Amino acid sequence: MRYILLALLAPVAASAADFSLTVADIVAPDFSARGVTLILPEGDSADLRIARLSVQQRSLRNVHIHCANFTLSTAGMSCHGGTLEPLPGMLLAFDYRFDAARWKVFAQLSNAPVKQFAIFLPESVPLPTQGKIDGTLRISGNASGIADFDADLRLADAGFSDASGLHAAEKLRGTIKFSAARKAAILTWQTNIAWHSGEMFWQPLYLRGGHRISASGTLDNVSLKVEQAIVDLPEVGRVQFSALWDMRQDALMECTVRGDNLALEKLFANYAKPFLDKGALAESHLYGHADVDWQYRNGATRSLRLALRDAGIADAEQRFALLGVNSEIDWQADAPRNANIAFSGGALLGVPLGAGQWTVRMHGKDFSVEQGILPVLDGRLELRDFKLYRKDDAWNWQFSASLSRISMEQFSRAAGWPKMLGTLAGRIPRVGYDGNEINVDGALLFSVFDGTVVATQLKLADPFGRAPRLSGNLSMRELDLDLLTRTFSFGNMQGRIDVDVNNLQLQDWQPARFDARVFSSAGNYSKKISQKAVQNISALGGAGAAAAIQRSYLRFFENFGYDRLGWSCVLRNGICTMGGVDGGNGGAYAIVKGGGIPAITVMGYNRNVSWNELMTRLKRVTQGNVQAVVQ
Amino acid sequence: MSAMIKFLIAFIALTAALNVFAAADLEVNSPGVNTIKQSMQARHAQLAGYYNSGAVGLTADGLIAVRDAGAVPLAQRQAVNALVAAENNDRNALYAEIANANGHPEWQGEIRSTFAQRWIQRAQPGWWVQSGGWKQK
Repeated sequence: MRYILLALLAPVAASAADFSLTVADIVAPDFSARGVTLILPEGDSADLRIARLSVQQRSLRNVHIHCANFTLSTAGMSCHGGTLEPLPGMLLAFDYRFDAARWKVFAQLSNAPVKQFAIFLPESVPLPTQGKIDGTLRISGNASGIADFDADLRLADAGFSDASGLHAAEKLRGTIKFSAARKAAILTWQTNIAWHSGEMFWQPLYLRGGHRISASGTLDNVSLKVEQAIVDLPEVGRVQFSALWDMRQDALMECTVRGDNLALEKLFANYAKPFLDKGALAESHLYGHADVDWQYRNGATRSLRLALRDAGIADAEQRFALLGVNSEIDWQADAPRNANIAFSGGALLGVPLGAGQWTVRMHGKDFSVEQGILPVLDGRLELRDFKLYRKDDAWNWQFSASLSRISMEQFSRAAGWPKMLGTLAGRIPRVGYDGNEINVDGALLFSVFDGTVVATQLKLADPFGRAPRLSGNLSMRELDLDLLTRTFSFGNMQGRIDVDVNNLQLQDWQPARFDARVFSSAGNYSKKISQKAVQNISALGGAGAAAAIQRSYLRFFENFGYDRLGWSCVLRNGICTMGGVDGGNGGAYAIVKGGGIPAITVMGYNRNVSWNELMTRLKRVTQGNVQAVVQ
Repeated sequence: MSAMIKFLIAFIALTAALNVFAAADLEVNSPGVNTIKQSMQARHAQLAGYYNSGAVGLTADGLIAVRDAGAVPLAQRQAVNALVAAENNDRNALYAEIANANGHPEWQGEIRSTFAQRWIQRAQPGWWVQSGGWKQK
């Protein structure tokens, strides 16, 4: 690590008045000058020509330094008022002492094109492409390298880009102050950067001017230490941090980050969201303010203190929101803590949620809520034994819950469904997520349409993926046909039905396969079917049947009695194979079997129908309420 | 002689495997496949401009990639990256779904390479495709 002044100062005659010297190659770490000729004309000036100047791995040919004032003695040489070709906009001065090999370089930049400095940078880093630079550079050192470095620069409309365009900036304006001093193997540095305007894309971040950083630290062969840094993030607030980066392992060893009253919306949108993969969180908005104190040591978070003030989260499609969150969370990696989280409200699938307060028990990466109440409309969802924990590198969760009676009328209105009557209540046994699948252990029980719905063997695979797959069995008992048909404007029917849907498979919430059967419930109750309902059921079988009823005497009656109704559909590969009350005979099967006076029997004649066609017909008869039917 | 027999067995096994794969229905219809196709169709309008400008190209493994981010204004580069990531998620899911819908999840690799060839064959003139290196059609 020493300059090697290979030879000699060999006099070469240039012209009568000039005195010319060929200086030997100057070689230093990351720097070399070869083919150096010093021409000393009469007077104070001098010209230094360097055939090839190499800095890092880049080199510049035919460099010409003209010194307006040059002095050369046995002790050293110095140059003032120097200009450098081919780099315009720079005024140079340097001083070199032969005995101690001490050197100093001073450069005054005025309106210097930034692009010309690209030749001194390795090709792997983003290179300057446009703009101008003003300011001063002072570098001094000795035979072992740079000892002091001081830069005070101002950028005007500067830009840079790497070959891929993934790290690039345009129209940068701002100031950079940087100074560093080396003592033994340790470099002590400080910097002050004010980025006024311009834009930068540093994958995946896109940032605009308005940032300020002041930082100081040290650098040695092993690590980069940021002792203290203060960063002003526009529209977010001020963040202070310190960090220790191990360069041998290429890893963050220690870090502390503190910030008070940070605006979460921009903090998340500009600095966190770009790093998140596509998913519910990546499409969410955050609101409110927070104090943050994060301590990271030995490759893991040791503690995180979060004080949330009127914070909130809402996903972009308004499926989920939790708002007005206030909490002091003091999480420790190796000590149990409790956090009280209060929220003022929220929404789930458009249904408003009320205020609540939950106590979350935290122990490392295990989080649990023994009991949490979530008000939903006029009822409430009670969550029990909620647990969130890490297992096999994935977040797992589980809970059980019960839903107290809430008005279906309010619920359906809030969810944007057709108006439904009755109440909704339910019991949710253990639901668990293992990183791949959501599984429901036991039977999910709901009360709707004055009957019950029991779902068993429910499993949702790939729930957060592109095409979630739901499978399970549904068993509905004694649903009130009156409530049901009024909801879906199907034409009034009275009576009760049972519905079994077995081997159900939904892909991306569309039916892919099931064995469904609808049939009259056992027991005594009034059974009536309106003419409109008869027409609609017939229309499902195709246009012709409905027209036949219109022409017949049946149109004189408003309501008919029936004995039994039944319909089945086995869905495979988009085709529904249908059946009726019984096996029927030949191609025909009875969907409604008549009884009482006046009685009517509705027959189906088509055994196979495409599911999409059936849905289109249903949509037609229910005046566009197809979504409700799928429910 | 035994080398000959080995070769014959290997050849028969290989053609048998190809015959099995030839049975894969690439146009198979399932709700999952349909959803992904619709999502890709909707995204195509946003991507077409970037294919035309050469910012985004088709890769040899049935995906797409940012080929020249420099062709896109700085403020849009994040969006292009997100579009490419979303498209690749869909493409990966599509190959898996088609294999699943065929009842042979293990065919995913072959389905992917068949699609890769198709995409590249059908690329419009001026688009960039990867075969060896990047080439403009």
